[in-house]
Amino acid sequence: MIGVVSYLVFFLTLAAILAIAVLGLNLHWGNTGLFNGGIAAFFGMGAYATILLGGTPQAGQFGGFDLFYPVALAGGIVASGLLAWIVGVATLKLRHDYLAIATFGVAVAFESFVRNSEWLTGGAKGLRGFERPLEAAIGDPFLFNLCFFAFVLAVLTAVYYGLGRLIRSPYGRLLRAIREDEHAAQSLGKNPARIRLASFITGSMIIGTSGALYATFYAFVSPDDVLPILTFQIWAMLIVGGAGNNRGALLGAFVIWAAWTSSGWVLARLAPVELQLYTGTIQYILIGLVIVGMLLARPQGLLPEKLVISQSGGETPRRPVQST
Amino acid sequence: MLHTGLRAAAIVAAATLVGLSAAPGSARAEACTVKIGAVLPTSVDWGRPIAATAQFAVDIANKAGGVNGCKVQMILRDTQVQAKVGVDAAKSMVDIDKVPVILGAVSSGVSMPILTSVTVPAGVMQMSCCSSSTSFSRLAAEGKTKGLWFRTFATSRVQASIATLIAKEKGYKKMAVFYKNDDWGQDMVKLVVHDLKAVGIEVTAAIPINNDQPSYRAEVTKARKAKADGVYLALYPKEGIAVVREWISLGGTRKMIVANSLKSDDFRKGVGIKYLGDVVGTDTASPRTKSASAFVTAYKARFKKEPNGPGLSNSYDATMIVLLAMQAAGKDAKGPAIAAKVPAVTDPNGTPVQANAAGFKKASALLKAGKTVSYQGATGAVQFDRNGDVSAPGLVWSFTGSGIKELRYIPLKDVEAFIAKLEK
Repeated sequence: MIGVVSYLVFFLTLAAILAIAVLGLNLHWGNTGLFNGGIAAFFGMGAYATILLGGTPQAGQFGGFDLFYPVALAGGIVASGLLAWIVGVATLKLRHDYLAIATFGVAVAFESFVRNSEWLTGGAKGLRGFERPLEAAIGDPFLFNLCFFAFVLAVLTAVYYGLGRLIRSPYGRLLRAIREDEHAAQSLGKNPARIRLASFITGSMIIGTSGALYATFYAFVSPDDVLPILTFQIWAMLIVGGAGNNRGALLGAFVIWAAWTSSGWVLARLAPVELQLYTGTIQYILIGLVIVGMLLARPQGLLPEKLVISQSGGETPRRPVQST
Repeated sequence: MLHTGLRAAAIVAAATLVGLSAAPGSARAEACTVKIGAVLPTSVDWGRPIAATAQFAVDIANKAGGVNGCKVQMILRDTQVQAKVGVDAAKSMVDIDKVPVILGAVSSGVSMPILTSVTVPAGVMQMSCCSSSTSFSRLAAEGKTKGLWFRTFATSRVQASIATLIAKEKGYKKMAVFYKNDDWGQDMVKLVVHDLKAVGIEVTAAIPINNDQPSYRAEVTKARKAKADGVYLALYPKEGIAVVREWISLGGTRKMIVANSLKSDDFRKGVGIKYLGDVVGTDTASPRTKSASAFVTAYKARFKKEPNGPGLSNSYDATMIVLLAMQAAGKDAKGPAIAAKVPAVTDPNGTPVQANAAGFKKASALLKAGKTVSYQGATGAVQFDRNGDVSAPGLVWSFTGSGIKELRYIPLKDVEAFIAKLEK
């Protein structure tokens, strides 16, 4: 029994870490309409910077500053913010699919950079030498995982409530105004360019937080962690959960990650021995089926965006009826 | 449309539920089973044969009476070459299936987080067939693997030195190097460049080759400019075929030395044997005992082809050594106890045993009686150092019209002497 609990804690920790990234993307896409195709880069920036700042010194390797963990974590978050600022200034003039392609390019370049800059990022062999905070003090691995889960959950809760407040505030209304019609927002005296950049940086820092926690959990990061598949996973979580709804984003993260991992678990048990070798491939098909099935059944996501009415006047506005 | 989607979702959900409820039942059906976990990239073309070979070793052990009288069940999970997925799979095996040993993974980027966040904290032994990164040796040297980490992948150091030996004998003065841009390739190029320099051969270009490019013309052109009289290739078949084709079509030299990753029929057929006459390959060798041929014979009988391909013999040995160590550690032993018994399986002074069913039976009996054995594996008389790394004899080979021919065998002590000279 303790084994199942131990695994569930582990599973939920990773799902919660990914959920933080999904919340960050929801600020981008769900609320501001920014098509960020480069999640892996901001996630990776948070992860790499945290390990570089908080890791122990390694022979022939830059980094290993062994900073106090909260400082390293903050450093990782700030680093993704900086990257987002640079990328944002360069690309936010682009709209929709153009922005998606540009940011996707940034993520590919980031992966290529960390794979090749061995002096800085350890190259393809990745960065290690990170001591997980308090692991030695806690001792028992299960207890450590439990404590770390509590920490991740606290961060997730803070991000969730913070974003919830932001979205309900006038500023959130402004974000949605830009998403729906930038020119209209501009005609009301708002500066869409600045708001878009602010939203892009904030969301990227949230994604960077997720990356920093991920690297902390594994005490390791390598270029394999920032491949485009990560961007796809986070997007699948948001779309299945429901773009524009933070509860949907959370739910999507847990549902998709559960589908992703449990399909392998189930297949390893069910498939006959002669098919065992192909379960990896079957698992991919199942994951695809789940995503496609959900999109067909509920294109608006499991928990669709709710219309927020902050000032009620006269008639209640109605959403246009969606056709399937 | 909507209904089809719902139905598909319902089917998936139903399948999942059936799976969840059926799981405990199927586990209870076997009277006496020992479980081991395997986390391997089965969804990747070169990963599947590695998993098939591990399962093959398990089948052989079961045929020879199993481990401590119990049937061995290998739980196989795919890594999708993603750390997240591999780590989750490993964690579920360790926690839910209570496996004392995990085989895998292949990519160092997956093996490493499994080691640091799953197996070492849980006291589970981990044996990889193929992870090549030097980071593991360093981690082990720092004492962070608690003696739970092993790998049967010996090839980088040995192969780099043998390649250098050949280059020197062939009288090459300037060499260009193409290497796969991953952890294995980056380690390999460092070793090769170091070794070639040590014997006075100039490396005029060392060019990284990234995965899945439609063309490598830019890389090949760069190497052509370097005017080398010999080329070294540390590539996998897929990129290897693409690079060598463009290299030869641009008039590059056919004098090539290749790593064992290209010892494959795909590469031979993909490039064409008429261009490969001057190609010499390196590998770690099987020992000159019947055991090595026993593995090849058994493999051919089972899979109807030669065991050519990256990691196959390593995967076989990894699995066999794990099973024998479990036998030596006794029933219901945990990870550290099993890891502690690995030296009893690879004791150079122990009774030599072959890498087949008869050998497994013989070894089981000897280990049960508290004796030690020297496992004569598919990659040699494997022996682990304190960091869980292995060394092995070397081999030189070339391509023929129908396959691969062995040119020369270099015993372990000659390899070690040559490496010592290079390191000076």
